[in-house]
Amino acid sequence: MKCEEFEAIGLDAERDASVREAEWAAAREHASTCSRCAALQDSWQVARIQLRALAEDTDLAQAPARVEMRLRQEFRTRHRTLKVRRAAVIAAWALASAAVLMGAVSWRNWRAGQREEAAKLANSQQMAVAAAGNHQSLAPHSAASEDSLVADNEMNDFTLLPGVLPAETDDAAIVRVRMQRSTLGALGLPVNEDRAGEWIQVDLLVGNDGLPQAVRLLQ
Amino acid sequence: MGIAEQERDGVLLRRAAKGDEDAFALLYRRHQAALYRFALRMTGSAWAAEEIVQDVFMTLMRDPNKYDAERGTVGAFLYGVGRNRVMKHLERLPREVSLEEKNEDGSGAGIVLQDVFTPGMWAEQRERRGQVRAAVLELPAEFREAVVLCELEEMSYEEAAQVAGCPIGTIRSRLHRGRALLLAKLEMLRDVPRRASAAR
Repeated sequence: MKCEEFEAIGLDAERDASVREAEWAAAREHASTCSRCAALQDSWQVARIQLRALAEDTDLAQAPARVEMRLRQEFRTRHRTLKVRRAAVIAAWALASAAVLMGAVSWRNWRAGQREEAAKLANSQQMAVAAAGNHQSLAPHSAASEDSLVADNEMNDFTLLPGVLPAETDDAAIVRVRMQRSTLGALGLPVNEDRAGEWIQVDLLVGNDGLPQAVRLLQ
Repeated sequence: MGIAEQERDGVLLRRAAKGDEDAFALLYRRHQAALYRFALRMTGSAWAAEEIVQDVFMTLMRDPNKYDAERGTVGAFLYGVGRNRVMKHLERLPREVSLEEKNEDGSGAGIVLQDVFTPGMWAEQRERRGQVRAAVLELPAEFREAVVLCELEEMSYEEAAQVAGCPIGTIRSRLHRGRALLLAKLEMLRDVPRRASAAR
């Protein structure tokens, strides 16, 4: 073994797992024959003892307690903030879900109301047609019901029938019927005799009692 | 809920990430001393070592997902982060030797006297340790790291290579050069008082 090789591996051969037994033996042999390398080894042994002593000085050293305190404080702050942020997100989602749910329920109720109203209207239409057939000799019942339509819901242009008092029209139904002009006379309205046989379409405003209250001529 | 002492680091880290302060504290207590010693031996400054330890655990707190269990233990991960912080600290520093670590009474910080010395022996030993400390701190960072890991921390070459993130051959070569420099510096430091007394 040469001096350079000894310097590279000989000083710490016992700790270096990659140094083979043969190399280790060669290093020992070299140190026993080379005074320079033996002196180097001695110097290193002394230095190592001093290094160990230096290491012992700090073997028990550890970070001051204030470091742990600072870290714990930071940990609490960080996780409290995270918790608050998480809670805010959850609350926002909950509010949004509640709003959507309320909207859905309201829409459903509104739709149900609409359907109920339509059913009511259809019922009252049938009743009105029947009543009109009985009282004012409207067109034959079957024809009237075939021809009658649900009119649009506007209250404009209605003429109150004679003898009818203006009343609340909230529950009244509008029924569109086809009849002879002379039938208007039966409802108490003036009729042109020349056109009495003419078929016309009118909207009848039918009250709760099933009797027509007002009439609107359609063009 | 208490934490079993033998709870694995990985489990503790997961619990800490979920906000378990006790788990984080236990993890800190397990690893802080080794990190602190390494930083102290590398920087020679208690203040810097304290900052480095704090910085390492702040990193762990901020981003626990940086740790990858497949790449090694939590301890090795913390050592790696600590090593990077130490190197950055050394890069920032002007090349000078810190001879601090002195308390008000003049003793070295963290020095634990286990034997009883006469004042003369104590002064001589203190002087010798001061010289060794100065010599270690004067080594270039890479050589110093190899010396600190293998000689002061008493790690095997494999462990030191793992911590330093380099092959074993690199550690061996750095250690070889570090030793040579250290011996030369110690020789020089020993000769200074001799020359001074000869001159008188």
